[in-house]
Amino acid sequence: MRKAIEIVNLVKRFGDTIAVDNLSLDIYEGEIFGFLGPNGSGKTTTLLTIATVYKPTSGDVRVYGYSVVNYGDKVRKLIGIAFQDPKALGIDKPYDLLLWHARVVGYSFNDAKKVVKGVMESLGLWEYRNKYFYQLSGGTRKKVEIAKILIQRPKVAIFDEPTAQVDVTSKHAMWDAIRELRNSGSTIILATNDMFEAERMCERIAIIYRGRLRALGAVKELKDLVPYGDIVEVSIAKQEDAERAVKILSGFGKVGANGLQFMVYLNRGEEKAIEIIDALEKVGIRVTRIMVKEPTLDDVFFYITKAKLKE
Amino acid sequence: MNSIKSVFLVAERDLYRFWQSKQWLAGQIAMNLADVFIFALIFGGIVRKDLVPDYFKYVTPGIASLATFVAAFSIGREVGMEVRRDIVDYLLVLPMSRLALVIGRLLGGMLRGLLYQLTFLVLASIILSSPKLEQLPILFMTSILLTSSMSSLAIAVSSISRDFNIQATFRAITYYLLFFFSNVYYPRQVLMLRFPQPIPQIVSVSPISLAADIYRWCFNYYTYIDYTDLAMLALWSSALIVLGLATYLRNLTKR
Repeated sequence: MRKAIEIVNLVKRFGDTIAVDNLSLDIYEGEIFGFLGPNGSGKTTTLLTIATVYKPTSGDVRVYGYSVVNYGDKVRKLIGIAFQDPKALGIDKPYDLLLWHARVVGYSFNDAKKVVKGVMESLGLWEYRNKYFYQLSGGTRKKVEIAKILIQRPKVAIFDEPTAQVDVTSKHAMWDAIRELRNSGSTIILATNDMFEAERMCERIAIIYRGRLRALGAVKELKDLVPYGDIVEVSIAKQEDAERAVKILSGFGKVGANGLQFMVYLNRGEEKAIEIIDALEKVGIRVTRIMVKEPTLDDVFFYITKAKLKE
Repeated sequence: MNSIKSVFLVAERDLYRFWQSKQWLAGQIAMNLADVFIFALIFGGIVRKDLVPDYFKYVTPGIASLATFVAAFSIGREVGMEVRRDIVDYLLVLPMSRLALVIGRLLGGMLRGLLYQLTFLVLASIILSSPKLEQLPILFMTSILLTSSMSSLAIAVSSISRDFNIQATFRAITYYLLFFFSNVYYPRQVLMLRFPQPIPQIVSVSPISLAADIYRWCFNYYTYIDYTDLAMLALWSSALIVLGLATYLRNLTKR
Protein backbone atom coordinates (compact mmCIF):
# COMPACT_ATOMS: atom_id res chain seq x y z
CA MET A 1 0.00 0.00 0.00
CA ARG A 2 1.18 3.49 -0.85
CA LYS A 3 1.95 5.82 2.01
CA ALA A 4 -0.07 9.03 1.90
CA ILE A 5 1.43 10.47 5.09
CA GLU A 6 4.66 9.65 6.88
CA ILE A 7 5.17 11.17 10.29
CA VAL A 8 8.79 10.76 11.28
CA ASN A 9 9.95 11.48 14.84
CA LEU A 10 7.72 14.53 15.00
CA VAL A 11 8.27 16.83 17.95
CA LYS A 12 6.36 20.07 18.43
CA ARG A 13 7.02 22.32 21.38
CA PHE A 14 5.34 25.55 22.38
CA GLY A 15 7.77 27.13 24.80
CA ASP A 16 8.23 24.60 27.59
CA THR A 17 5.18 22.57 26.60
CA ILE A 18 5.72 19.50 24.46
CA ALA A 19 2.54 19.17 22.43
CA VAL A 20 3.75 16.28 20.27
CA ASP A 21 6.50 14.04 21.55
CA ASN A 22 8.46 12.00 19.04
CA LEU A 23 5.50 10.75 17.04
CA SER A 24 6.13 8.35 14.17
CA LEU A 25 3.49 6.62 12.06
CA ASP A 26 2.36 6.07 8.50
CA ILE A 27 -1.07 6.64 7.01
CA TYR A 28 -1.89 4.72 3.85
CA GLU A 29 -3.62 5.92 0.75
CA GLY A 30 -7.36 5.38 0.79
CA GLU A 31 -7.78 4.54 4.46
CA ILE A 32 -9.81 6.29 7.13
CA PHE A 33 -7.29 6.86 9.86
CA GLY A 34 -8.25 8.08 13.29
CA PHE A 35 -6.39 10.07 15.88
CA LEU A 36 -8.03 9.33 19.17
CA GLY A 37 -7.25 11.13 22.36
CA PRO A 38 -8.63 13.47 24.98
CA ASN A 39 -8.54 17.26 24.70
CA GLY A 40 -4.98 18.55 24.77
CA SER A 41 -3.46 15.23 23.77
CA GLY A 42 -1.71 16.63 20.68
CA LYS A 43 -4.18 15.57 17.97
CA THR A 44 -4.88 19.04 16.62
CA THR A 45 -1.22 20.04 16.79
CA THR A 46 -0.33 16.98 14.73
CA LEU A 47 -3.03 17.77 12.19
CA LEU A 48 -1.99 21.40 11.92
CA THR A 49 1.59 20.31 11.37
CA ILE A 50 0.48 17.98 8.58
CA ALA A 51 -1.48 20.91 7.14
CA THR A 52 1.64 23.18 7.23
CA VAL A 53 0.22 25.63 9.77
CA TYR A 54 2.81 24.64 12.39
CA LYS A 55 6.45 23.96 11.73
CA PRO A 56 7.86 20.84 13.39
CA THR A 57 10.32 21.61 16.19
CA SER A 58 12.14 18.52 14.99
CA GLY A 59 11.34 15.54 12.83
CA ASP A 60 9.23 15.81 9.71
CA VAL A 61 5.92 14.99 8.09
CA ARG A 62 5.81 13.92 4.45
CA VAL A 63 2.64 14.08 2.40
CA TYR A 64 2.96 11.89 -0.67
CA GLY A 65 6.70 12.25 -0.22
CA TYR A 66 6.70 16.04 0.11
CA SER A 67 8.14 17.35 3.35
CA VAL A 68 5.96 19.91 5.12
CA VAL A 69 9.17 21.72 6.05
CA ASN A 70 10.57 22.11 2.55
CA TYR A 71 7.62 21.71 0.19
CA GLY A 72 4.74 23.40 1.99
CA ASP A 73 3.29 24.79 -1.25
CA LYS A 74 3.11 21.31 -2.77
CA VAL A 75 1.65 19.80 0.40
CA ARG A 76 -1.12 22.39 0.49
CA LYS A 77 -2.21 21.34 -2.99
CA LEU A 78 -2.79 17.82 -1.69
CA ILE A 79 -4.55 18.46 1.60
CA GLY A 80 -7.69 20.03 2.91
CA ILE A 81 -8.67 20.46 6.52
CA ALA A 82 -11.97 20.96 8.29
CA PHE A 83 -10.99 22.70 11.50
CA GLN A 84 -12.26 21.91 14.95
CA ASP A 85 -13.41 25.53 15.34
CA PRO A 86 -15.00 26.87 12.18
CA LYS A 87 -12.84 29.60 10.71
CA ALA A 88 -14.91 32.59 9.70
CA LEU A 89 -15.65 36.11 10.82
CA GLY A 90 -19.14 36.96 12.07
CA ILE A 91 -19.88 39.04 8.97
CA ASP A 92 -19.16 36.14 6.60
CA LYS A 93 -22.04 34.34 4.93
CA PRO A 94 -21.86 30.58 4.27
CA TYR A 95 -22.54 30.80 0.53
CA ASP A 96 -19.99 33.55 -0.09
CA LEU A 97 -17.44 31.77 2.04
CA LEU A 98 -17.86 28.45 0.25
CA LEU A 99 -18.02 30.00 -3.20
CA TRP A 100 -14.73 31.76 -2.57
CA HIS A 101 -13.24 28.56 -1.17
CA ALA A 102 -14.34 26.63 -4.26
CA ARG A 103 -12.67 29.15 -6.54
CA VAL A 104 -9.47 29.12 -4.48
CA VAL A 105 -9.26 25.33 -4.71
CA GLY A 106 -9.53 25.50 -8.48
CA TYR A 107 -13.13 25.58 -9.69
CA SER A 108 -14.21 28.04 -12.35
CA PHE A 109 -16.83 30.54 -11.20
CA ASN A 110 -19.72 28.67 -12.84
CA ASP A 111 -18.57 25.25 -11.66
CA ALA A 112 -18.02 26.66 -8.19
CA LYS A 113 -21.62 27.85 -8.02
CA LYS A 114 -22.90 24.40 -8.99
CA VAL A 115 -20.71 22.40 -6.64
CA VAL A 116 -21.33 24.74 -3.70
CA LYS A 117 -25.09 24.51 -4.17
CA GLY A 118 -24.90 20.71 -4.38
CA VAL A 119 -22.81 20.31 -1.25
CA MET A 120 -24.84 22.86 0.72
CA GLU A 121 -28.06 21.06 -0.17
CA SER A 122 -26.60 17.68 0.76
CA LEU A 123 -25.67 18.98 4.22
CA GLY A 124 -28.91 20.88 4.72
CA LEU A 125 -27.13 24.22 4.59
CA TRP A 126 -28.86 25.82 1.63
CA GLU A 127 -31.47 27.62 3.71
CA TYR A 128 -28.70 29.26 5.75
CA ARG A 129 -26.68 30.39 2.75
CA ASN A 130 -27.27 34.10 3.23
CA LYS A 131 -27.25 34.24 7.01
CA TYR A 132 -24.36 35.88 8.77
CA PHE A 133 -21.99 33.48 10.44
CA TYR A 134 -22.73 34.94 13.87
CA GLN A 135 -26.41 34.01 13.35
CA LEU A 136 -25.65 30.30 12.84
CA SER A 137 -25.75 27.59 15.50
CA GLY A 138 -22.57 25.74 16.44
CA GLY A 139 -23.66 22.67 14.49
CA THR A 140 -24.43 24.66 11.34
CA ARG A 141 -21.07 26.40 11.52
CA LYS A 142 -19.46 23.01 11.77
CA LYS A 143 -21.31 21.87 8.67
CA VAL A 144 -19.95 24.86 6.76
CA GLU A 145 -16.46 23.77 7.77
CA ILE A 146 -17.12 20.22 6.57
CA ALA A 147 -18.63 21.57 3.33
CA LYS A 148 -15.29 23.18 2.46
CA ILE A 149 -13.66 19.76 2.28
CA LEU A 150 -16.53 18.14 0.43
CA ILE A 151 -16.21 20.88 -2.16
CA GLN A 152 -12.44 20.66 -2.33
CA ARG A 153 -12.20 16.85 -2.43
CA PRO A 154 -8.48 16.83 -1.65
CA LYS A 155 -6.23 13.80 -1.90
CA VAL A 156 -5.81 13.95 1.88
CA ALA A 157 -8.86 15.19 3.77
CA ILE A 158 -8.39 16.05 7.43
CA PHE A 159 -11.34 16.34 9.79
CA ASP A 160 -10.72 17.65 13.28
CA GLU A 161 -13.61 16.58 15.51
CA PRO A 162 -16.08 16.88 12.65
CA THR A 163 -19.23 15.97 14.52
CA ALA A 164 -18.71 17.79 17.80
CA GLN A 165 -21.84 19.91 18.54
CA VAL A 166 -23.70 18.24 15.67
CA ASP A 167 -27.12 16.61 16.08
CA VAL A 168 -27.57 12.87 15.52
CA THR A 169 -29.16 13.09 12.06
CA SER A 170 -26.51 15.48 10.79
CA LYS A 171 -23.81 13.36 12.38
CA HIS A 172 -24.85 10.37 10.27
CA ALA A 173 -25.07 12.53 7.16
CA MET A 174 -21.53 13.75 7.79
CA TRP A 175 -20.21 10.25 8.35
CA ASP A 176 -21.81 9.15 5.09
CA ALA A 177 -20.28 12.13 3.30
CA ILE A 178 -16.84 11.36 4.73
CA ARG A 179 -17.11 7.72 3.67
CA GLU A 180 -18.24 8.77 0.22
CA LEU A 181 -15.22 11.05 0.01
CA ARG A 182 -12.95 8.16 0.84
CA ASN A 183 -14.70 5.94 -1.71
CA SER A 184 -14.01 8.55 -4.35
CA GLY A 185 -10.28 8.31 -3.66
CA SER A 186 -9.38 10.59 -0.75
CA THR A 187 -7.38 9.47 2.23
CA ILE A 188 -9.19 10.51 5.39
CA ILE A 189 -7.63 11.57 8.67
CA LEU A 190 -10.13 11.99 11.43
CA ALA A 191 -9.30 13.33 14.87
CA THR A 192 -11.86 12.68 17.53
CA ASN A 193 -12.36 12.13 21.21
CA ASP A 194 -15.62 10.35 20.50
CA MET A 195 -14.90 6.64 20.84
CA PHE A 196 -18.09 5.65 19.07
CA GLU A 197 -17.21 7.81 16.08
CA ALA A 198 -13.69 6.40 15.97
CA GLU A 199 -14.93 2.82 16.13
CA ARG A 200 -17.62 3.38 13.55
CA MET A 201 -15.52 5.33 11.06
CA CYS A 202 -11.86 4.41 11.32
CA GLU A 203 -10.04 1.44 9.89
CA ARG A 204 -6.92 2.17 11.91
CA ILE A 205 -6.55 4.29 14.98
CA ALA A 206 -3.66 5.98 16.74
CA ILE A 207 -4.31 6.60 20.41
CA ILE A 208 -2.47 9.72 21.47
CA TYR A 209 -2.11 10.79 25.04
CA ARG A 210 -0.05 13.69 26.34
CA GLY A 211 1.59 14.11 22.95
CA ARG A 212 2.78 10.54 22.68
CA LEU A 213 1.59 7.63 20.61
CA ARG A 214 0.23 5.02 23.01
CA ALA A 215 -1.24 2.50 20.61
CA LEU A 216 -1.71 2.05 16.89
CA GLY A 217 -3.70 -0.49 14.94
CA ALA A 218 -7.03 -1.64 13.61
CA VAL A 219 -9.93 -1.38 16.06
CA LYS A 220 -9.87 -5.15 16.59
CA GLU A 221 -6.14 -5.15 17.28
CA LEU A 222 -6.54 -2.36 19.81
CA LYS A 223 -9.31 -4.21 21.58
CA ASP A 224 -7.11 -7.26 21.86
CA LEU A 225 -4.65 -5.17 23.82
CA VAL A 226 -6.99 -5.26 26.80
CA PRO A 227 -6.19 -8.46 28.77
CA TYR A 228 -9.29 -10.60 29.09
CA GLY A 229 -11.13 -7.80 27.31
CA ASP A 230 -13.66 -9.97 25.46
CA ILE A 231 -16.54 -11.59 27.27
CA VAL A 232 -18.07 -14.81 25.93
CA GLU A 233 -21.45 -15.41 27.56
CA VAL A 234 -22.44 -19.07 27.46
CA SER A 235 -25.78 -20.50 28.57
CA ILE A 236 -26.26 -24.26 29.04
CA ALA A 237 -29.43 -26.37 29.24
CA LYS A 238 -28.99 -28.46 32.42
CA GLN A 239 -28.01 -27.57 35.98
CA GLU A 240 -26.19 -30.92 36.49
CA ASP A 241 -23.71 -29.96 33.72
CA ALA A 242 -22.70 -26.72 35.45
CA GLU A 243 -19.72 -28.06 37.35
CA ARG A 244 -18.22 -29.74 34.29
CA ALA A 245 -18.90 -26.65 32.20
CA VAL A 246 -16.96 -24.42 34.61
CA LYS A 247 -14.04 -26.82 34.48
CA ILE A 248 -13.96 -26.76 30.67
CA LEU A 249 -14.51 -23.02 30.38
CA SER A 250 -11.67 -22.34 32.84
CA GLY A 251 -9.36 -23.67 30.17
CA PHE A 252 -10.21 -20.65 28.00
CA GLY A 253 -10.07 -17.83 30.52
CA LYS A 254 -11.38 -16.48 33.79
CA VAL A 255 -14.93 -17.67 34.45
CA GLY A 256 -17.85 -16.13 36.29
CA ALA A 257 -21.16 -17.94 36.83
CA ASN A 258 -24.79 -16.87 37.23
CA GLY A 259 -27.06 -19.92 37.35
CA LEU A 260 -26.88 -21.59 33.93
CA GLN A 261 -25.12 -18.62 32.43
CA PHE A 262 -21.32 -18.34 32.44
CA MET A 263 -19.08 -15.44 31.54
CA VAL A 264 -15.64 -16.25 30.15
CA TYR A 265 -13.15 -13.36 30.14
CA LEU A 266 -10.56 -13.82 27.40
CA ASN A 267 -9.04 -12.34 24.26
CA ARG A 268 -10.06 -12.92 20.63
CA GLY A 269 -13.51 -13.94 21.79
CA GLU A 270 -15.01 -14.49 18.32
CA GLU A 271 -12.46 -17.19 17.47
CA LYS A 272 -12.66 -18.79 20.89
CA ALA A 273 -16.47 -18.96 20.93
CA ILE A 274 -16.50 -21.72 18.33
CA GLU A 275 -13.86 -23.68 20.23
CA ILE A 276 -15.92 -23.29 23.41
CA ILE A 277 -19.05 -24.71 21.76
CA ASP A 278 -17.03 -27.62 20.36
CA ALA A 279 -15.43 -28.38 23.73
CA LEU A 280 -18.75 -28.36 25.62
CA GLU A 281 -20.72 -30.35 23.12
CA LYS A 282 -17.93 -32.91 22.82
CA VAL A 283 -18.64 -33.90 26.45
CA GLY A 284 -22.41 -33.79 25.95
CA ILE A 285 -23.15 -30.37 27.42
CA ARG A 286 -25.83 -28.68 25.35
CA VAL A 287 -25.25 -24.94 24.72
CA THR A 288 -28.50 -23.01 24.48
CA ARG A 289 -27.02 -19.57 23.83
CA ILE A 290 -23.62 -18.02 23.24
CA MET A 291 -22.73 -14.37 22.79
CA VAL A 292 -19.46 -12.49 22.40
CA LYS A 293 -19.04 -9.05 23.86
CA GLU A 294 -16.01 -7.02 22.82
CA PRO A 295 -14.48 -4.28 24.93
CA THR A 296 -15.34 -0.80 23.73
CA LEU A 297 -12.73 1.69 22.63
CA ASP A 298 -13.46 3.42 25.91
CA ASP A 299 -12.11 0.31 27.64
CA VAL A 300 -9.10 0.26 25.35
CA PHE A 301 -8.39 3.94 25.86
CA PHE A 302 -8.80 3.70 29.61
CA TYR A 303 -6.62 0.61 29.81
CA ILE A 304 -3.84 2.06 27.65
CA THR A 305 -3.65 5.49 29.19
CA LYS A 306 -3.97 4.19 32.72
CA ALA A 307 -1.26 1.66 32.11
CA LYS A 308 1.08 4.31 30.79
CA LEU A 309 0.27 6.69 33.61
CA LYS A 310 1.40 4.08 36.12
CA GLU A 311 4.79 3.75 34.42
CA MET B 1 -4.00 27.56 -9.36
CA ASN B 2 -1.39 30.05 -10.39
CA SER B 3 -0.02 32.61 -8.00
CA ILE B 4 -1.45 35.66 -9.78
CA LYS B 5 -4.95 34.21 -9.56
CA SER B 6 -4.40 33.45 -5.85
CA VAL B 7 -3.29 37.01 -5.19
CA PHE B 8 -6.41 38.42 -6.86
CA LEU B 9 -8.72 36.00 -5.06
CA VAL B 10 -7.28 36.97 -1.68
CA ALA B 11 -7.61 40.66 -2.57
CA GLU B 12 -11.15 40.08 -3.81
CA ARG B 13 -12.07 38.48 -0.47
CA ASP B 14 -10.76 41.49 1.43
CA LEU B 15 -12.53 43.89 -0.86
CA TYR B 16 -15.78 41.96 -0.54
CA ARG B 17 -15.53 42.05 3.25
CA PHE B 18 -14.92 45.78 3.04
CA TRP B 19 -18.17 46.07 1.14
CA GLN B 20 -19.91 43.90 3.75
CA SER B 21 -18.99 46.56 6.33
CA LYS B 22 -20.95 49.27 4.52
CA GLN B 23 -22.29 50.81 7.72
CA TRP B 24 -18.83 51.05 9.22
CA LEU B 25 -17.60 52.49 5.96
CA ALA B 26 -20.32 55.13 5.90
CA GLY B 27 -19.55 56.06 9.51
CA GLN B 28 -15.85 56.43 8.81
CA ILE B 29 -16.44 58.56 5.72
CA ALA B 30 -18.86 60.74 7.68
CA MET B 31 -16.23 61.18 10.40
CA ASN B 32 -13.54 62.14 7.93
CA LEU B 33 -15.90 64.54 6.19
CA ALA B 34 -16.75 66.06 9.56
CA ASP B 35 -13.00 66.50 10.10
CA VAL B 36 -12.79 68.54 6.91
CA PHE B 37 -15.58 70.88 7.91
CA ILE B 38 -14.88 71.19 11.63
CA PHE B 39 -11.14 71.73 11.22
CA ALA B 40 -11.72 74.12 8.37
CA LEU B 41 -14.16 76.16 10.44
CA ILE B 42 -12.08 76.24 13.62
CA PHE B 43 -8.52 76.41 12.30
CA GLY B 44 -9.54 78.64 9.42
CA GLY B 45 -9.97 81.46 11.93
CA ILE B 46 -6.80 80.68 13.88
CA VAL B 47 -4.10 79.93 11.31
CA ARG B 48 -2.35 83.02 9.89
CA LYS B 49 -3.95 84.11 6.64
CA ASP B 50 -0.57 85.12 5.16
CA LEU B 51 0.57 81.50 5.52
CA VAL B 52 -2.71 79.74 4.69
CA PRO B 53 -5.03 82.08 2.78
CA ASP B 54 -7.84 79.53 2.35
CA TYR B 55 -7.69 76.90 5.08
CA PHE B 56 -10.62 74.94 3.68
CA LYS B 57 -8.72 74.40 0.45
CA TYR B 58 -5.53 73.63 2.32
CA VAL B 59 -6.95 70.95 4.59
CA THR B 60 -9.09 69.06 2.06
CA PRO B 61 -6.25 67.28 0.14
CA GLY B 62 -4.64 66.54 3.50
CA ILE B 63 -7.80 64.83 4.73
CA ALA B 64 -7.88 62.82 1.48
CA SER B 65 -4.39 61.66 2.35
CA LEU B 66 -5.34 60.90 5.93
CA ALA B 67 -8.50 59.07 4.86
CA THR B 68 -6.38 56.65 2.89
CA PHE B 69 -4.70 55.29 5.90
CA VAL B 70 -7.94 55.11 7.86
CA ALA B 71 -9.25 52.76 5.16
CA ALA B 72 -6.00 50.88 4.76
CA PHE B 73 -5.97 50.34 8.50
CA SER B 74 -9.32 48.58 8.30
CA ILE B 75 -7.45 45.64 6.76
CA GLY B 76 -5.26 45.70 9.85
CA ARG B 77 -8.32 45.44 12.06
CA GLU B 78 -9.38 42.26 10.23
CA VAL B 79 -5.90 40.78 10.11
CA GLY B 80 -5.68 41.33 13.87
CA MET B 81 -9.01 39.63 14.40
CA GLU B 82 -7.99 36.69 12.22
CA VAL B 83 -4.75 36.27 14.15
CA ARG B 84 -6.51 36.45 17.53
CA ARG B 85 -9.21 33.94 16.60
CA ASP B 86 -6.90 31.60 14.63
CA ILE B 87 -8.92 32.24 11.48
CA VAL B 88 -5.58 32.83 9.83
CA ASP B 89 -5.01 29.06 10.05
CA TYR B 90 -7.61 28.66 7.33
CA LEU B 91 -5.72 30.99 5.01
CA LEU B 92 -2.50 29.15 5.79
CA VAL B 93 -3.81 25.78 4.56
CA LEU B 94 -5.18 27.05 1.25
CA PRO B 95 -3.44 25.77 -1.87
CA MET B 96 -1.35 28.85 -2.48
CA SER B 97 2.09 30.10 -1.57
CA ARG B 98 2.57 32.20 1.54
CA LEU B 99 3.88 35.02 -0.63
CA ALA B 100 0.75 35.01 -2.79
CA LEU B 101 -1.34 35.17 0.39
CA VAL B 102 0.62 38.07 1.83
CA ILE B 103 0.68 40.04 -1.43
CA GLY B 104 -3.04 39.40 -1.82
CA ARG B 105 -3.72 40.89 1.61
CA LEU B 106 -1.61 43.90 0.78
CA LEU B 107 -3.40 44.37 -2.52
CA GLY B 108 -6.74 44.05 -0.75
CA GLY B 109 -5.75 46.75 1.71
CA MET B 110 -4.54 48.95 -1.09
CA LEU B 111 -7.78 48.59 -3.05
CA ARG B 112 -9.79 49.35 0.08
CA GLY B 113 -7.78 52.52 0.55
CA LEU B 114 -8.29 53.57 -3.08
CA LEU B 115 -12.01 52.97 -2.94
CA TYR B 116 -12.42 54.80 0.33
CA GLN B 117 -10.32 57.68 -0.86
CA LEU B 118 -12.46 58.20 -3.95
CA THR B 119 -15.06 60.19 -1.97
CA PHE B 120 -12.42 62.56 -0.69
CA LEU B 121 -10.76 62.97 -4.07
CA VAL B 122 -14.11 63.90 -5.57
CA LEU B 123 -14.66 66.32 -2.69
CA ALA B 124 -11.23 67.84 -3.29
CA SER B 125 -12.08 68.23 -6.98
CA ILE B 126 -15.21 70.14 -6.02
CA ILE B 127 -13.67 72.30 -3.27
CA LEU B 128 -10.42 73.02 -5.11
CA SER B 129 -10.37 72.22 -8.81
CA SER B 130 -10.24 69.08 -10.91
CA PRO B 131 -6.80 67.75 -11.76
CA LYS B 132 -5.56 68.38 -15.27
CA LEU B 133 -4.94 65.39 -17.51
CA GLU B 134 -1.18 65.49 -16.91
CA GLN B 135 -1.76 65.53 -13.14
CA LEU B 136 -3.92 62.40 -13.14
CA PRO B 137 -1.09 59.85 -13.44
CA ILE B 138 0.73 61.53 -10.52
CA LEU B 139 -2.50 61.55 -8.49
CA PHE B 140 -3.07 57.89 -9.24
CA MET B 141 0.53 56.93 -8.51
CA THR B 142 0.49 58.85 -5.22
CA SER B 143 -2.68 57.07 -4.12
CA ILE B 144 -1.24 53.68 -5.05
CA LEU B 145 1.99 54.35 -3.16
CA LEU B 146 0.22 55.73 -0.10
CA THR B 147 -2.46 53.05 0.15
CA SER B 148 -0.02 50.19 -0.42
CA SER B 149 2.41 51.48 2.19
CA MET B 150 -0.35 52.13 4.71
CA SER B 151 -1.97 48.73 4.24
CA SER B 152 1.45 47.04 4.59
CA LEU B 153 2.08 48.93 7.78
CA ALA B 154 -1.37 48.12 9.14
CA ILE B 155 -1.01 44.40 8.35
CA ALA B 156 2.43 44.24 9.94
CA VAL B 157 1.33 46.06 13.10
CA SER B 158 -1.80 43.92 13.49
CA SER B 159 0.00 40.61 13.19
CA ILE B 160 2.67 41.47 15.75
CA SER B 161 0.83 39.75 18.59
CA ARG B 162 -2.20 37.58 19.29
CA ASP B 163 -3.01 39.80 22.26
CA PHE B 164 -5.72 42.34 21.45
CA ASN B 165 -4.27 44.90 23.87
CA ILE B 166 -0.87 44.77 22.24
CA GLN B 167 -2.40 44.89 18.76
CA ALA B 168 -4.57 47.87 19.69
CA THR B 169 -1.68 49.70 21.37
CA PHE B 170 0.60 49.28 18.36
CA ARG B 171 -2.18 50.38 16.02
CA ALA B 172 -2.90 53.43 18.14
CA ILE B 173 0.77 54.41 18.32
CA THR B 174 1.19 54.06 14.55
CA TYR B 175 -2.01 55.98 13.92
CA TYR B 176 -0.97 58.70 16.33
CA LEU B 177 2.52 59.07 14.84
CA LEU B 178 1.19 59.29 11.30
CA PHE B 179 -1.62 61.61 12.31
CA PHE B 180 0.45 63.91 14.48
CA PHE B 181 3.61 64.04 12.39
CA SER B 182 1.92 65.31 9.27
CA ASN B 183 1.22 68.59 7.55
CA VAL B 184 -2.44 67.74 7.04
CA TYR B 185 -3.60 70.51 9.36
CA TYR B 186 -0.67 72.95 9.27
CA PRO B 187 1.85 73.80 6.56
CA ARG B 188 5.52 73.47 7.32
CA GLN B 189 5.91 77.24 7.81
CA VAL B 190 3.39 77.17 10.69
CA LEU B 191 5.10 74.20 12.28
CA MET B 192 8.47 75.96 12.00
CA LEU B 193 7.07 78.86 14.02
CA ARG B 194 5.86 76.54 16.78
CA PHE B 195 8.30 73.62 16.94
CA PRO B 196 12.08 73.42 16.98
CA GLN B 197 13.92 71.60 14.23
CA PRO B 198 14.05 68.78 13.33
CA ILE B 199 10.33 68.28 14.08
CA PRO B 200 9.04 70.38 11.13
CA GLN B 201 11.60 68.70 8.89
CA ILE B 202 10.54 65.23 10.02
CA VAL B 203 6.89 66.13 9.61
CA SER B 204 7.41 67.29 6.06
CA VAL B 205 8.92 63.97 4.97
CA SER B 206 6.36 61.67 6.56
CA PRO B 207 4.41 59.67 3.95
CA ILE B 208 1.12 61.38 4.81
CA SER B 209 2.69 64.83 4.43
CA LEU B 210 4.41 63.95 1.18
CA ALA B 211 1.17 62.60 -0.27
CA ALA B 212 -0.82 65.58 1.02
CA ASP B 213 1.57 68.02 -0.69
CA ILE B 214 1.39 66.08 -3.96
CA TYR B 215 -2.42 66.07 -3.76
CA ARG B 216 -2.33 69.84 -3.15
CA TRP B 217 -0.49 70.18 -6.41
CA CYS B 218 -2.83 67.72 -8.20
CA PHE B 219 -5.81 69.80 -7.10
CA ASN B 220 -4.04 73.03 -8.00
CA TYR B 221 -3.61 74.42 -4.49
CA TYR B 222 0.13 74.48 -5.10
CA THR B 223 1.36 75.67 -8.43
CA TYR B 224 4.46 73.50 -8.51
CA ILE B 225 5.35 69.96 -7.59
CA ASP B 226 8.59 68.91 -6.01
CA TYR B 227 9.28 65.57 -7.66
CA THR B 228 11.59 64.61 -4.83
CA ASP B 229 8.36 64.34 -2.76
CA LEU B 230 7.16 61.66 -5.13
CA ALA B 231 10.53 59.92 -5.06
CA MET B 232 10.54 59.98 -1.25
CA LEU B 233 7.02 58.68 -1.11
CA ALA B 234 8.07 55.83 -3.43
CA LEU B 235 10.97 55.15 -1.10
CA TRP B 236 8.70 55.12 1.96
CA SER B 237 6.29 52.90 0.13
CA SER B 238 8.98 50.40 -0.89
CA ALA B 239 10.38 50.29 2.62
CA LEU B 240 6.98 49.88 4.27
CA ILE B 241 5.86 47.24 1.77
CA VAL B 242 9.01 45.20 2.35
CA LEU B 243 8.68 45.67 6.11
CA GLY B 244 4.98 44.84 6.06
CA LEU B 245 5.36 41.75 3.88
CA ALA B 246 8.32 40.46 5.85
CA THR B 247 6.66 41.03 9.24
CA TYR B 248 3.34 39.48 8.22
CA LEU B 249 5.08 36.54 6.58
CA ARG B 250 7.27 36.01 9.62
CA ASN B 251 4.37 36.26 12.04
CA LEU B 252 2.29 33.84 9.98
CA THR B 253 5.00 31.23 9.72
CA LYS B 254 6.82 31.51 13.04
CA ARG B 255 4.61 28.96 14.82
